[in-house]
This record gives sequence, structure tokens and C-alpha cells, in this order.
Amino acid sequence: MKKFFALLLTLVLALSVVACAAPAAEEAAPAPEAAEEAVAGEKVELKVIAAQYGPNTAAWWADFVEKFNAANEDINLVVDVVAWADIYTVVNTRIANGEAPDLLNIDVFADYVADDLLLPASEWVSEETYAKFYPQFLEQSVVDGTVWAVPDLASARALYYNADILAAAGVEVPTTWAELQAACEAIKAYDAELYPWGIDMTTDEGQACFAYYAWTNGGGFVDAEGNWTLNSAENVEAVKFSTGLVAAGLTNTDPTTESRYDLQELFAAGKLAMMIGPNQISTYVASSENPINFGVASIPANEGKATSSVGVMDRFMCFDNGYTEAELAAVTKFIDTFYDDEPYSEWVMMEDFLPATTTGGDIMVAANPDAAAWLDVVGSAQFYPTAKAEWADVKQGVIDVQQNVLLGGDAQELLDTLQAEIAG
Amino acid sequence: MKKRKTLQTAEPYLWILPSIILMCIFIVIPIFYVFKMSLSDISKAGVIKGFAGLDNFIAVFKSPVFGIVLKNTVIWTVLVVLLSTILGFILALLLNNNFKGRKIARAIVVFPWATTLVVQATVWKFIINTDYGALNTLLMKLGVIQSAVNWTPTPEAFFAWEIACGIFVTIPFVCFTVLSGLQSIDSSFYEAATVDGANYWQKLFNITIPLVKPSLTVSTVLNIIYVFNSFPIVWTITKGDPANRTDTIVTYLYKLAFYNGKQDVAAAVSVVGFAILLVCASLYMISTLKKEDA
Repeated sequence: MKKFFALLLTLVLALSVVACAAPAAEEAAPAPEAAEEAVAGEKVELKVIAAQYGPNTAAWWADFVEKFNAANEDINLVVDVVAWADIYTVVNTRIANGEAPDLLNIDVFADYVADDLLLPASEWVSEETYAKFYPQFLEQSVVDGTVWAVPDLASARALYYNADILAAAGVEVPTTWAELQAACEAIKAYDAELYPWGIDMTTDEGQACFAYYAWTNGGGFVDAEGNWTLNSAENVEAVKFSTGLVAAGLTNTDPTTESRYDLQELFAAGKLAMMIGPNQISTYVASSENPINFGVASIPANEGKATSSVGVMDRFMCFDNGYTEAELAAVTKFIDTFYDDEPYSEWVMMEDFLPATTTGGDIMVAANPDAAAWLDVVGSAQFYPTAKAEWADVKQGVIDVQQNVLLGGDAQELLDTLQAEIAG
Repeated sequence: MKKRKTLQTAEPYLWILPSIILMCIFIVIPIFYVFKMSLSDISKAGVIKGFAGLDNFIAVFKSPVFGIVLKNTVIWTVLVVLLSTILGFILALLLNNNFKGRKIARAIVVFPWATTLVVQATVWKFIINTDYGALNTLLMKLGVIQSAVNWTPTPEAFFAWEIACGIFVTIPFVCFTVLSGLQSIDSSFYEAATVDGANYWQKLFNITIPLVKPSLTVSTVLNIIYVFNSFPIVWTITKGDPANRTDTIVTYLYKLAFYNGKQDVAAAVSVVGFAILLVCASLYMISTLKKEDA
């Protein structure tokens, strides 16, 4: 009896192994087929994973794929649109299973370069398209002197203020930290129910909060040579200032759990007087039921320091899947088509982003003169050092530092520890 | 004749074969894979670079954060399981009585359990938030408080709310497991006890509790596993913030794997959690089953 049971279990295990292996074998099969087809002058398959920016992204891609496949009969373009929350898991799983996509649209790229998974941009972007990008954007995708990815869009942050609240409290739009603090105190004195200043130090985007204050105090993540400078005096002062605003009761109550989206809602509802946020907030607020009277200005800087915006940029990168000439040509065709003026300007305006190409910028300004100011902002913005391998640890590190300071920790000590961990 | 007998012995195994296959595919193989990952060096892009020995486990135990996370996980599991078991048991006793509207009452009790945890947690987050929460708005409308009260002034307070939410969503499960046990108790026991002059408490401790114990064992073991591994409540309300003060093992390893790109270390944390659960659940099962046998 026992023997029989043991035999059965072995059989089951063997079966399940087969069952697991089967789908993998099936999925692996199309590759040689595709190659054969290409030789025979048939379709080349092009697999793209794209991030879902908002409610319109999936529909935009579906339309693009339809047009692209109709215009290019020898290419079969397949685009998977994946939500931000899942995209890293999806991509990593596919890489681990040897099924990396051909093209990927995401924010980070350095980790893939570190694993030798990508092709340099020069191999799959035509010269004509390459010339369209803002050079300062391309610089953000350089590792060891090589450009590994091309930007697909950008967004930048600025100060949003509720003009009515500021007028009622009798304060001007703040340009320095001292003015900001004074304005917050005046707003609190005017109406204690209002939240003068929005701060988001959550796991979602606490690194942005660190950057807002560090960069407007002459500090930052790295120095001109690209060495980590996390515990600089400017950074310590910046963290003390931002956490000080929280301690003084001038901000939203729970900066460690209230994300930018919560702040955005408080702002649109007229309960939050000022916050730092991306250009999409304009549309969000304008489309709410009772739009508030708001304005946009530069992020306040410390006395004598220059203001700075935080730029965020996403990219296209091409995985090195051992392409035939026809396959590589299909990749280039895709990129050329995507950055063509018409689809590209539609793409950028679809979810209110800012273009990464000069031609896209011109079209956008023609359509909406207000965009010019934002293009200036993004042109002067600083970016996170995402090309550095330690970035993921630094990002989590500065979030932890800020949260620990809120819990009573010492900013200098915590940043010293982080710097020692990262830079060794 | 003999052939028929073989078929008869084999029959039950054939029937459970599909579940065994499914379990192998979705449980056994992933577990093996996680063990393998925990002993490997994995790059941020998810490529396995080689064998790492116990390096990942050393990294886990060296991290000062892991101690906080482990403590939180123990507090979270013990409080949620213990309190929801007590409250669920009491609720089951109440619902076992005959009263008008009993069916409606039972349906209401199922509600929290029938709703997705993420939805539940989002609602709780919305209720307790100081700046736009429903609790403050309600109390201010009723005139109980004059201005918004900060219900979550410290990380501990946040964690307490999460535990409360955990208890709230776990009660129905305990309640219905116990209720099914209560309904299988023959009423003649109570009649005999009444004739012998036993009071309510004597009946509760000498008849009810011993007879629903098997149901309680099942619900407690399952709850320890569910609650220990529970992700949505903590993740939705605080994401473990501030500074890991409300993280449990599961949210911590999720952050490690998918926010910080340390899948190898996350796998090691996962293995540690698995070991803890295995030991706890086995100890509890063995001790209760032994007592029942005796």
C-alpha cells in the first residue's frame, strides 16, 4: 500500500515537472519560427513592454499598433501595457526566464546595463531621430560614455499655490525658505483648519522631497564628479528645514503616509495652500468640480541659493536578444515611427507630459503657449542620478533618513551613516 | 477479484491527483524556487549570478531593521489572532441563539470577510486620516470635537489601527468556523446538564468549549498562517512607513524585492518567515491534537 502511494507521488511529481516545463517549451518555440519566417520574407515579431502612465495609455498604444502593423506588413508589433505597480516584477520575471522584451519603456536602465542586457542606442536609433533629443536628456542615460536609452517623455516639478488663500492670508508667493516659513505661519494664523504646505515623505516618492530641499540649498545626491555627497552640510540643513516645517505643524499631518496623490486632492479641494508637484496637477485641478484659483511658481530656495526643479524622465531601451538584421531594422523602424512628429506630440500630450525632443517641444508650444514655461523648467531641471548602480539604495536611504528624523533622529548622524553605507 | 481490489485502493488517490498536481505546480515548485533564490546572488535586473551560500541570510540578520520587523510581525500576529478568536467566539455564541433576524445578523457578520482586503484597508485609511478622514468629519459634525484630532500621532498608533482593522476582518472567519462547530453539538447534552442543575458558565466551559475545540484549532492554525502572511492591510494603510516602524515580514520583503531590487535578500526573509510559520503551526497542531487524543 505504502509502496503504491510512493509510486503515485513520484508519478505526480514527474507529471507536474512536465506540466511546468511544457508552457516554457511552447513559449520558446516561436523564436526559431520567427527567424525562419524572417528569412522567408515573412513577419518579424517585435515585442514591446510599455509603462501605463494613465487612463489613456493603453488605448493610445492599441491605436499605434494598429496603424504601425498596417503600414509595415513585414513587422508584427506586440505592445504589452503594464501598470507601474507591476512593471518591474513583470520585466524581471521575463528577464529571469530568458524572455526579455525587445524594447522596454520604463524609468530605470542602469541595472540592465550592469547585467550587459542592453544594446547601445547608436545601434538601434537612426541618426535622424537621435538628432531630435534634447542633449541634456540624453546625458542622463550615459554609463561609461555610452548612451544606452533614449528619453520618451519628461515631467518637471514646480510650486503650486492656491492664490485665493494666499491673498486672504495677505502673503506673497514665497521665493525663499524664510518667506515660505513666514507665509505658512501667516496662513495658519489666518485659518487653523487649512494646511499651509504639503510634504510627501512616503516610500512612494520620498526621494523627491529630499531633492526639492537639497537642490534648492545647493546640495544634492552627487558632486560635479559624480561622487556621492549625501551627508553634505547643505543636505543636513535641507532635511532639518523640511522636517522642521512638519514639526512646527505647518504641513499635512502624516507626511510619511500621505502620498503626492493625497496632497493633490487636498490641494484641489482648497484645504492645502501650497505644494510642490508635477505639471499634471494643472489639468487635475482644472478638471475638478469647483476648480480653485491656483498659480504656478518656482520652488522656493534657501537665501542666496538658486532655485531648481526636479526633473523626472522615462526612457526606451533595447534588449540585446541576438537580432538578425531584419529584426534590428524593425526596432529602428518602430523608434522612427514613434518619434515622428504627429504620433509623438499626441503621445506626450495624451497624459500631459513634456516632450523629450526639440521638434515635440515646438509642436507643443504651438498648441499651448503655456507649455513654453514648463519647457524652460524642464530644461533647467536636475535629474536623479539613476545612471549610478547604487541609486536604488540611495533612494530608499534618503526616505528612511527623513522618516527617522521625523521620529526624532539626528539628520547629521543618519546621513553620515547612509553616506558610509553607500560610498563605503 | 484482485484487480477490483487494486482499483478500489487506487480510487481515492486518483480523485485527489488533480489537487496534488495543482499543489505541486503552484506551491511546491515556487517554494523550491524561493529556497534556491535565497541561496543565490541575484542582480537588480533579476539575473541569477551564482551561488551565494548563506550570505543573504547573514545580510538579513545583520540588518538592524529586521529586528523591528520581526517584533512587529509577532505583535501583529499574536494580537490579531488572539483578539479576533476571542471576539469571534463570543459573536458565534450570540449568533447561535434563536432570535428574530438571526439570518440578517449572520449576513452582516460575513460582510467584512466578503469584501476585498484592499478595499477594507482603504476604507479604514480614509476613516482615520486626520486631514480628510471620515471619523474627524463625523465627530466634528456631531459636535463631539471642535477641531481635527490626529488619530495617528505615532507609528505605534498607526500600527494599532492596522491591528484593529486586521481583527475586524478576521472575526467573521473565526465566528463562522466556531458557529459550524456549535451547531453540531447535540442539544441533549445541554438538556442533561440543565436537569443536573448546571449554570450557563458550567455548560460553556464543560460542554461548549471542549466540543468546539476542534473547530477552534482549525481556525487558529489557519489564522496564524493567514495573518502572519497578511499583506494588503499594512501595505494599503502605511506601506510599513515611517522608517519600517509598521512593517511586517511580508511588507518588508515586498519592499526589498520590488522597491530596492534585492530579490535574493527578500527570498531569504521569505524563507525565514516560512520557517517561523512552520514551527509555530506544527507546535500548535501537535500540542492540541495530542490533548485531543488523550
